[in-house]
Amino acid sequence: MADATMGTPASAQRPALFLRNATGLVKSWSTFDAFVYSFWSVNLITLGLYGMSFVYTVPDGQALAAILIFGVLTTFLVITYAMLVSVMPRTGGDYAWQSRVLGGGLGFVLSITGWWFTLFLWAPIYANILVVQFFSPLAYTLGWSNVSTFFTSQNGIFVACLIVLAFVSVVVTMGMETYARIQKVCFWIGLGGLVVVIGLLAFASQSDFQNAYNREATSLFGAPANAYQATIDAASKTYAGHDFGFFAFGPLFLLMPWLAFYLLWPNWGATLYGEVRGAKDIRKPFWSMFWGLWVTVALVAVVVLLIAKTMGWNFYQSANAAYWNSLFAVQGAAAPPVPIWPYPVMFAGWLVDNHLFQALLIIVMGLWFFGWAGTLFLSSTRVIFAAAFDRVLPAWAANISAKRRVPYGSLVLMIVPSIVISAIYAYRPSFTSVFLDATAVLALTFLATVVAAIILPWRRKDLYDASPVANYKIGGIPAITIVGVITAGFLLWMLYQWSFNPDNLYGTSFQKTPNSVIYFVATYIVAVVIYVAARIVRSRQGIDLRRIHHEIPVE
Amino acid sequence: MPKVFFATDLHGSEVCWKKFLNSARFYGADVLICGGDMTGKAIVPIVSENGHYSVTLSGESQQVPAEQVAEVEATIRRRGYYPLQMTVERLHELDQNPDKRAECFQEVMLAGVDRWMKMAAEKLRGSGIRCFVCPGNDDEMEVDDVVRRAELVELGEGRVVEIDGFSMISTGWSNPTPWKTHREDSEEQLGERIERMAAQVPDPSRAIFNLHCPPFKSGLDEAPAIDADLRLLHGGRALRPVGSTAVRAAIEKHQPLLSLHGHIHESKGAIKIGKTLSINPGSAYEEGMLMGAIIQLDPKKGIKSYQLVNG
Repeated sequence: MADATMGTPASAQRPALFLRNATGLVKSWSTFDAFVYSFWSVNLITLGLYGMSFVYTVPDGQALAAILIFGVLTTFLVITYAMLVSVMPRTGGDYAWQSRVLGGGLGFVLSITGWWFTLFLWAPIYANILVVQFFSPLAYTLGWSNVSTFFTSQNGIFVACLIVLAFVSVVVTMGMETYARIQKVCFWIGLGGLVVVIGLLAFASQSDFQNAYNREATSLFGAPANAYQATIDAASKTYAGHDFGFFAFGPLFLLMPWLAFYLLWPNWGATLYGEVRGAKDIRKPFWSMFWGLWVTVALVAVVVLLIAKTMGWNFYQSANAAYWNSLFAVQGAAAPPVPIWPYPVMFAGWLVDNHLFQALLIIVMGLWFFGWAGTLFLSSTRVIFAAAFDRVLPAWAANISAKRRVPYGSLVLMIVPSIVISAIYAYRPSFTSVFLDATAVLALTFLATVVAAIILPWRRKDLYDASPVANYKIGGIPAITIVGVITAGFLLWMLYQWSFNPDNLYGTSFQKTPNSVIYFVATYIVAVVIYVAARIVRSRQGIDLRRIHHEIPVE
Repeated sequence: MPKVFFATDLHGSEVCWKKFLNSARFYGADVLICGGDMTGKAIVPIVSENGHYSVTLSGESQQVPAEQVAEVEATIRRRGYYPLQMTVERLHELDQNPDKRAECFQEVMLAGVDRWMKMAAEKLRGSGIRCFVCPGNDDEMEVDDVVRRAELVELGEGRVVEIDGFSMISTGWSNPTPWKTHREDSEEQLGERIERMAAQVPDPSRAIFNLHCPPFKSGLDEAPAIDADLRLLHGGRALRPVGSTAVRAAIEKHQPLLSLHGHIHESKGAIKIGKTLSINPGSAYEEGMLMGAIIQLDPKKGIKSYQLVNG
């Protein structure tokens, strides 16, 4: 039943491989499909605009240059992950890589904190994005200001978290195949909306925008005349202003931890299914992640330039400063005349004097949220499954219902703590800093994976030597090690800034935010306790967890 | 109190087979069960020309002198492919003639299985370890004869075998696949095939169903979604249940103590279907890693413990 040949060596048109018909041999996927997935992970609108709204905290940081440099540095992360996929193609994911290279205990603690415990924090963050980019602007545009007000109340914040958790649960229940179809629809319609936003900003002048802003600020929010200038004035109490053309090298790097909020995730879900032959196909994960990252970087650059041209960079940053500083009760902060989060999509919509059009634009751009948020717990459920199969977690954690294939065990483990954390987020504002650390802990998880990649050629020589990656060396040093060291340096820089920035620029410095330190130390302690308890319990059952990853001798 | 080590879907990886044979000592197992799909999926030609050898592996073409060919062959075997030295003329013949290619595949596969059986004899002789092999849907029917002739490996297919007071039935046949492989049945036929063996099992609570194909919608049968042209859908990230309804029905009806499966490499897991513990240890043969399951059976408790390992 041999019926296929494959491959073309450089020397001549001749087959490099004869394949026979066998189960599981598939043709490669469309790079575009994989790109869409990666593109959603570094979501330009939901995460991107939200993350960009904090850039004002580094007044001398040139956003455009910082975005491009971040793109270059994150490319090393993409290469590192693509190489790991190449070495361990179908047992991929941070948990598997870390466990197999660093050891089962360390792999469990680092992955479970990053992909399980920290994801609890992302539910409220997603909820906040849903409120500020969808519910609030839509409600104000349709004249339902009481709806918007509700979502700023503690109960409203909690309800928004429950909506996100319900949505994510539905997606997990329906499965990735159905959701992937929904994502495709959201992608194309959302992209259409983005083209409209870009077109509006491109063809309007700054005076057009000022007039539109002043008109809608009065119409929708009852703001006094010249709300544009009033916004800048409100921010001036706590924000010195920024000239878009100003460039200084040092502050660029202080912007990196903010940009990480949305640009650090092209490797999200960097796993590979299906048995696809040939190195070219193995390279596809790289290209899908690469283009997911760089198309977003390019689009962010376009959006930033258009904001600077049409809205005025100083105005946009002032609007962000006025909003966040007022919300965080920064000393001396004044309330902005337009009291909601400065959503560039809503502002662009205001260039058309029609509330129905404005509402439609917000709804269409809301698809960037609904096509993206569904995968929130996808990696978490995988890690929980893997830990349950390794007998570190109880077997029920990997249970799925027979009829609808709902992974109810892992869902319970994600949803119940997320509800508790969401309640803390809604009703205990003093814990805000904990949520700001959500990016940092995932970066720490990535760092552990990158360290695994760096030492892979020595620690798992067998796997490394058998992989195509072994062919790539620079000056005799494995390329995966060199690329990994660069990536590690980049991640360490950001982790240092998150943890020790003397000005508490990111709201996460250890010396200023004891709550977040306590929370994260506690999560690592809980992870260690779970692992140690599992070792003891399983040992009594005659199961030695240490042998999960011990390699059997070949000879 | 037998301790069983189960691995499956080695697909020609000689490293994995060697590890499988060594796993008995490594894990202290008394019984080894190889769940099927032993034979490889690809031949990598090593072409002799102009005094050197040309080979392309993972997209990288290289030319090696004769003294390095053995090393290259070992690397190819490690990845689960069959290395085959040939002339340029033979290469073109295999490329253009599907019948010749099929014949060549059968030769190298049967030779490979025969070599593995000899390795097993060397490794297991005098150890008292029982070793069962049950060829899977990707293995040609002729593989059974090679296993039957083996000195210390027992063929499982279609039989009820006794293992220290436990009964094991085995089949490598699967429900239909898009690849139209060697051992595929309709769900109805597969159900009958299993039932013929299950009817001979004296006590299901002490039975092992070694069925290559996993039960439908069990979580052990999630394969990448593909289209009619075998192209991965949705960036290769969407999974679909492809297990057998007949296998599921047999497990639900007879409620054996343990069911062992493979077939779907990505779908590693252990779940309960009623009273039955169903395991698919997964496969990462192309990495040279032996994914397996250690099951400690107990005359009173049935299953004392189990563990999935990556050896």
